Amino acid sequence: MIRKPEEIQPTEKKIRMLIAGYPGIGKSTLALSAPRPLHIDCDFGVDRVEPQYRKPFIQPGSYAEILNDLQPGNLTDFDTLVFDTGGKLITLMSQWAILQDAKYGQRDGSLSLKGYGYVGREFVRLMDYCFYTLKKHIVIIFHATEEKDGDNTRLRIKVEGQTKNNVWEPMDLGGFVEMIGNDRTIGFSNCERYFAKGTRGIHGIYKIPDLKENPNNFLTWLFGQYNQKSEAEIAAAEEQKAKYEKAMEAGRAIIAKVTDVDSANQQAGEMAKLDHALTSEAEIKTEWVQKTKALGLAYDKTSGQYVKGVVA
Amino acid sequence: MAYLMTHSLLSSWLYSMKENPFADATTEDTSKEDFLRVLRREPTPTTEAMQNGIDFENLVTEICGCVPHEQTTLIGKAPRPEELIPEKIRNNPWFDAAFKVAKIVQGGQFQHVATMRATVDNVELLLYGRLDVLHAGNIFDIKFSKSYDRGKYIDSTQHPMYLELVPAADSFTYLVSNGTDVWTEKYRRDETHSVFPVINDFLRWLRNTGLMGLYQEKWGAK
Repeated sequence: MIRKPEEIQPTEKKIRMLIAGYPGIGKSTLALSAPRPLHIDCDFGVDRVEPQYRKPFIQPGSYAEILNDLQPGNLTDFDTLVFDTGGKLITLMSQWAILQDAKYGQRDGSLSLKGYGYVGREFVRLMDYCFYTLKKHIVIIFHATEEKDGDNTRLRIKVEGQTKNNVWEPMDLGGFVEMIGNDRTIGFSNCERYFAKGTRGIHGIYKIPDLKENPNNFLTWLFGQYNQKSEAEIAAAEEQKAKYEKAMEAGRAIIAKVTDVDSANQQAGEMAKLDHALTSEAEIKTEWVQKTKALGLAYDKTSGQYVKGVVA
Repeated sequence: MAYLMTHSLLSSWLYSMKENPFADATTEDTSKEDFLRVLRREPTPTTEAMQNGIDFENLVTEICGCVPHEQTTLIGKAPRPEELIPEKIRNNPWFDAAFKVAKIVQGGQFQHVATMRATVDNVELLLYGRLDVLHAGNIFDIKFSKSYDRGKYIDSTQHPMYLELVPAADSFTYLVSNGTDVWTEKYRRDETHSVFPVINDFLRWLRNTGLMGLYQEKWGAK
């Protein structure tokens, strides 16, 4: 069914989020603040979460077990699937891939190049299944690792091989958890420390509320903000896009009328009257220049008119 | 008189400034030599990596030329976009990746030239950039890279320079492919540093090293 852009109902949108940070900084507790979470504890680390913040969990011994548990009938009580950690999930996925086909593995049990490609695609397929078929929010946790890059030390997610690029692609949000002074924070904007991912008005650094004084519901609040901002941002973007399309269409109609010196001088005035949006002015101006050049016309700055041939 | 300032020149200089942790007294400093060649505007031979980048971008452009814009955005209308593309192009081993990129940049203006005059450290400059694609408030740059790590372009001067050149653009997106996968690396205007401090440092470095004369001789703008 083909739907029009204005039919988008952003409040229904589920969110895919990646959380990265050093071990022990509270990533799991933060992830469990999402709406009605199921904790998929691949790391077997639920005991490290303080008892009052623990949520229903599974501790899969294999990727096949995860696939078996993630059936629609098992998940009616949950709105969010928390994968803890993504690194361990990919390890389980790798073992499963080698069992599917020996060419995905090497003799030492590690993945072959083909295996990395297969696991990368399976990761994206799993995320799509959780998002589109199961219709759940997804929160996936990664440990962060430091990498030296010239004078800078950068944080990156800890995953082997090319998979570290693929895991970001389906995500709506990707944030790094860090301590700034005494505050726990999560940053969604690119900076010298890391390359993150913010969309739909969720940008910059957010302070994570202190759990001594607040309930553990930060991600539930953030997802609400995302959907509210999303609605406003989509509306504003649609308005700008419509104005842009209108300016481009009107500009191209003007350019089509230019056939010689007289029409160029006549239509130049019409071009100046266009109401522009986004980059329509730069784009249509280039098309105008291409057309006048093709007709062998040049702009004479002294007279303020187009003339045939080259201006001396 | 104004002097040309491009992202490639800044990028070459910054690369030559990077410390090599493995260097010793016998290490030949090729990056410095490479930078001097760029400063002297000597033609550089096309490497395999450069040729791959050119070929991939050409493939994307060819695909965009075959498929009208509305064919990529409407679903269920015959013929399917792929069917409009000649078999020779579809048989290219990079076709699937190039098609993904083409769907993103379709309808945009390719090879858009943007310029801007500015005075930095008392030097009149003409900032110049040739954008791969400009479309509806977004700048796109198509890259072909066999080794890519997310965040690879965070220190690049390309997105700061191009966002300066096109003030109406909101974002700059690198579309990176290895011929199979496509990754996007997007920088919004509000999270992008100004390019002018880098230009300022570059001009001072030229003065301090006695290379300002060479720059002014070779990079004069009309």
